[in-house]
Amino acid sequence: MNYAVRASGICKGFNTLFRGKKEVLKDINLLIDGEEIFGILGPNGSGKTTLLSIFSTLIYPDRGELTILGIDARRKTHEVRKLINISTGKPNFPWSLTVRENLRHSGMLYGLHGRELERAVDWSMESFDLHQYQDTRFENLSTGVKQRLSLAKAMLNGPKLLFLDEPTTGLDPQMAQRTRALVKRIHRDMGVSVVMTTHYMPEAEELCGMIAFLKEGRIVAQDTPARLKRCLKIGERMRIRYRGDIDANALRAIPGLISADLSAGRADLVIDKNEVTFSRVMRTLQSAEILELELEEPDLEDVFIELAG
Amino acid sequence: MSLQGEINKCLSAAYKNWIISKRNVFTVFELVFWPLISLLSIGLMTRFLNIGGETVAFLLVGAIGLTILQICQIDVAYVLLFDMWSKSIKNTFVSPVRGYHLVLGALLFGMVRGTFAFTILVVISRILFGFDFLAGGVHTVLIFLAGVFAVSALIGMIVCISILLFGQKADVAAWSLSGVIMLISGIYYPISILPDPLQLMARAVPLTYFLEYYRSAYGFGDHNIMTGAVMVAAYMIVGLIALEITIERARSTGILLRLSE
Ligand SMILES: Nc1ncnc2c1ncn2[C@@H]1O[C@H](COP(=O)(O)OP(=O)(O)O)[C@@H](O)[C@H]1O
Ligand SMILES: [Mg+2]
Repeated sequence: MNYAVRASGICKGFNTLFRGKKEVLKDINLLIDGEEIFGILGPNGSGKTTLLSIFSTLIYPDRGELTILGIDARRKTHEVRKLINISTGKPNFPWSLTVRENLRHSGMLYGLHGRELERAVDWSMESFDLHQYQDTRFENLSTGVKQRLSLAKAMLNGPKLLFLDEPTTGLDPQMAQRTRALVKRIHRDMGVSVVMTTHYMPEAEELCGMIAFLKEGRIVAQDTPARLKRCLKIGERMRIRYRGDIDANALRAIPGLISADLSAGRADLVIDKNEVTFSRVMRTLQSAEILELELEEPDLEDVFIELAG
Repeated sequence: MSLQGEINKCLSAAYKNWIISKRNVFTVFELVFWPLISLLSIGLMTRFLNIGGETVAFLLVGAIGLTILQICQIDVAYVLLFDMWSKSIKNTFVSPVRGYHLVLGALLFGMVRGTFAFTILVVISRILFGFDFLAGGVHTVLIFLAGVFAVSALIGMIVCISILLFGQKADVAAWSLSGVIMLISGIYYPISILPDPLQLMARAVPLTYFLEYYRSAYGFGDHNIMTGAVMVAAYMIVGLIALEITIERARSTGILLRLSE
């Protein structure tokens, strides 16, 4: 079987001016079959962009082997480039080119010409709802439209495998949702394998069938979103200050309560919102007087600390 | 790999440069205003110094050659500079294009702009200073232009290579190099007035031969255009290979990623 991505022992470091070589990716091993959307989840600076850049042959690893769609991506880089494409969050294009001109230019980079080029441009504008902006210059587009342009550009060469680097960063929730719907369509209806990065767990959960966690340049876990979420203690974080007694055992027995940390009048709970109702938690807390209650989504950095610890 | 596909990969660079150039008000300055200023300055100076016919031609050839060199070389460098300024360099280098596609495409558009400026300049200098640019025949003009364009491509490639090696600010150094090349290749004087070591260097710069070739049509000594042609062809090949190697290196060092941030 041809894997979409088959990476083993990928290492990458960047030379820095003062601190010598900075190792950004350390021994990455991944097998991605491409059947489901594959997510690479990790906090900022964990090496997601670097990894996708290596997969897309934009940059080369220092060591390791890489096969993309069955092609040796260390040697036949050009073959790989024809079959893949990449789209990034916060995309950039030459400012003064309009949507149509930018797409045309990108298509030409892939050697499309004549009728074929115009058809590809029209089709991608159609697919990503860009027709009304076709004569608008890139610099005058809204963030959401820029994002759609970036996806449209990435589909121009009819890629078999698409890399998406944090496709929803900087978008408002509505736009982000729309982009996620487009990603699903690209995968499901257009039959393209998708490997994407995100630092946002709910997004990975919604889109991806499989997730790898990247932390400080290493894959520290890889599983389905549901299983990962359990072992990574991702959920809603509830901080409570209270007086009196709380039955810690009863609390921990609630299904969906991922962790409970009780000490000296403070409780720090992590709750999987999908599985547990707050009321159940609140009932257990009734034995004490609640002085303060705070709800927050734990950010990934916290989660990673827990995983590492 | 279809030929048409290969051609279009080249044309992608020309297309981009054309649209950006078309929308940029400074294009008028680059193509008309500054070239005319420099032409008029040199032309009027020849009046003031009371210089005779052939020498005027000598100086005007230098002024015109220099102008189209500058116009065309920046077009070649723009192919990377525009991507860098708009932070879209990733899009280019994730696609299956090679350095030569980019350089040849940008050069093509540079030649169009260069020819446009050349036409304006020779017409104006004909009217104002009586300069007959066709004194050596059409082929002389074409060979001279081809040489200047090839040298422009070389300088543009050196700029691209420096950026990919040393980062964004490196273009300043590269432009300075092009200044030195102009100095020693004798834009406004015969290289025989240069000190020996510089003359030796001038002989390694193809532009020297193309200037001498065009000037010989106005009675200024001999030329050795074959040497210049072979030299510039060899440099082009070396330059394109060096650019290809530099791009691969930029993918290894990761500077390609940093340039797109
Ligand atoms: N071209 C580069 N040169 C030097 N350091 C880099 C380069 N690209 C990324 N880095 C460093 O590598 C680390 C990982 O970066 P990145 O892959 O962008 O992470 P992420 O996308 O997960 O936020 C960061 O610390 C960043 O500073
Ligand atoms: Mg990133």
